[in-house]
Amino acid sequence: MTKEMEKISAWYDGEVTQQEFDSGLDELNASAETKKTLHQFALLSEVMQRQQKSSSKVQMIKDYFPGNNPWLSNIITAAATVLVTITILYQFDTNRFGVDDENQMQLATALESPEARSQLLSADQNVMDHLIHIMASNQPHGSQNISQDWIPVGFKQSQQNPAQFSNGRNNLFFHIENNKLNLTKVKYFQASNSWIYLIPLGDGRLLTAYGDVPPALASKMIQAIK
Amino acid sequence: MSTSHGEQMMVEQIKAGNTKAFEAMVIQHQPKLLSSMIAYTKSYEQAEEICQQTFIRVWQKIESFRGDSALFTWIYRIGINLAKNNFASSYSKNSSNTTSLDISEHDISNHISPETDLIDKESESTIFNFIASLEMELKTAFSLRELEGRSYEEIASIMKCPIGTVRSRIFRARQLILEFMNQENII
Repeated sequence: MTKEMEKISAWYDGEVTQQEFDSGLDELNASAETKKTLHQFALLSEVMQRQQKSSSKVQMIKDYFPGNNPWLSNIITAAATVLVTITILYQFDTNRFGVDDENQMQLATALESPEARSQLLSADQNVMDHLIHIMASNQPHGSQNISQDWIPVGFKQSQQNPAQFSNGRNNLFFHIENNKLNLTKVKYFQASNSWIYLIPLGDGRLLTAYGDVPPALASKMIQAIK
Repeated sequence: MSTSHGEQMMVEQIKAGNTKAFEAMVIQHQPKLLSSMIAYTKSYEQAEEICQQTFIRVWQKIESFRGDSALFTWIYRIGINLAKNNFASSYSKNSSNTTSLDISEHDISNHISPETDLIDKESESTIFNFIASLEMELKTAFSLRELEGRSYEEIASIMKCPIGTVRSRIFRARQLILEFMNQENII
């Protein structure tokens, strides 16, 4: 029964083959219970959509992951705000530090035009997906893959959280995994006093560093990472 | 957004005159349409009647649906136009011409229920608190589907798991939420 209902759930989402679609229709025709379930799926979708209309998507996503990673959760909220207002979005040049002219042009246009702002926001959807993925990840962001060379001078590992590094004033967190974003250059986002650095590594992985560490402090770290 | 593969199959069946497919489509899209029409007309009764007229019009006009937009977008436009026309003509209950239809109004109205209207803000908030308490994998898959409209393939890529796992996580989340809504007498 559960497997049948799982098929109806996928059918509802349109994620079925032609054969499954046809058998789903037959099932719906034969069973009042299945019809009721389909109606309830639709009802639930409507409730979700209604809620989404009355609050921002980022806020909702943040609400769904309470306490899981409060630091990153707060940064994402702030980053989304920044993306909307387009306060700043830089891409480092091939020397791994500096400002990409093309992005500055984009930024200038975006500040002038709501359409361009929207396009710029969409362009970074994959980055937001990546951050949501990190926030939703249950895997501890252990320090075993973090090279000591990457840690900025003066920063020490927290005893409570091995992924957190602090110099007493500023905090920095690391997450490392395969580079699915296919980034070739370092990207960073500023959100009020927080920054997210996406740093492609030479071995094909992606280092995500986030915290209240400004570029001036992070630049040596970024340049040291190969 | 154009039609998805699932929607294309649905539309093809409806175009071929498959009333089962039509009925399934009504069940699928009715809550959203009703909710939109209530927001537009500020009247449950008017919204219900416009929904009914809309689905009748969909059955009549489905041949003209080319799939350039999502099916619901097309249905919604029909609904809004009907609502505007009804509003302009001071809303006459006898205004619809439905005499030559294969699908009876009764079949459609069977699926129009007041549930969406009855799920109040407090219940919504209870539901969202429950969703927040679900296992991380379940709420992530469910949220990406329902809030972001992501395909199973995209969710699998984001969550780094097989598509079959996405499918079962989304279903499990729906099952748990509906069980909760039943327990709480929300539906």
